[in-house]
Amino acid sequence: MTSPALTPSIAVPKWAFAVALLALIVAWVVLQENGVALGATAETVHEFFHDGRHALGVPCH
Amino acid sequence: MATTYTGLLTRGLAAGGIAGLAAGLVSLFVVEVPIRAALAVEEARAAAEHVEGDAHEHAELFSRGTQVLGGVLAAVVVGLAVGALFATIFAYTRRWFTDRQPFFRSATLGLAAFGVAALLPAIKYPANPPAVGDPTTVNYRTGLYLGLIVAGIVVAFGASYLASRLGHLAAPVRVTAVLLATVAAVTILLLVFPAPPDAVPADMPSSVLWDFRLASLAETATLWIGLGLVFGLLIDPAVRKTKTKANAKSAVAA
Repeated sequence: MTSPALTPSIAVPKWAFAVALLALIVAWVVLQENGVALGATAETVHEFFHDGRHALGVPCH
Repeated sequence: MATTYTGLLTRGLAAGGIAGLAAGLVSLFVVEVPIRAALAVEEARAAAEHVEGDAHEHAELFSRGTQVLGGVLAAVVVGLAVGALFATIFAYTRRWFTDRQPFFRSATLGLAAFGVAALLPAIKYPANPPAVGDPTTVNYRTGLYLGLIVAGIVVAFGASYLASRLGHLAAPVRVTAVLLATVAAVTILLLVFPAPPDAVPADMPSSVLWDFRLASLAETATLWIGLGLVFGLLIDPAVRKTKTKANAKSAVAA
């Protein structure tokens, strides 16, 4: 169907799932964490990244 | 050319860091302007509420300067995270414009990611500056926002799948069919998802609101489209080849 030379099939290791999961968790902590995982520390994280949350279009209070 | 997953991952992190920093600069110089205007509205509101002279204001955890810095840093950290995700998804793709050069594949993937993760939610649930959102509905709003992004990912995946299934059609017919199906699916999503629950407070000027929404969109566009372009530049062997050729040429000239 397509020329394989342009897109060599890349072997993706199993730990790529862990990388994707870690990336999602990091994005979650910066943009969404409101106390589910970090408890009281969340307030600090929330306030520090507050401008970033609003600016990136994430729902906020 | 990166032919291993680790090679792609490092380039994804680099591209994410660069695009995140660029988005952070947009945040600093563009988005902060309407944010300042919105905070002025918030302060005027607080002053009106505490007119009886109750000086017990709740202390702010961080100064404005620190929060502005946090806004830039948020873009960089999110850039690194989506860079790693982007590289992983890019490594997994088996159908995404497989007959095109890596730069084209990366740039279109970045464009699709912008459409799904930023433009789609921005159309249905536009970004709001501080002093607009109702704290009691934040979980509901977050659910709607994330739900729409997930639905958008399904549409993007479906469009890619449809394109590969319609491989027997001539390219212009296939492109038209896939675009029509995508537009139809997005229209249905926008109609099916419930309206945002909050009304915008009357004391928020609509000019501030729209300046903020457009500025926010500029930042997310910088992040996602920038990520696709930089990642494409980093992985496409054609970039290196041209550079080598140019070097060879200048060496000959010298």
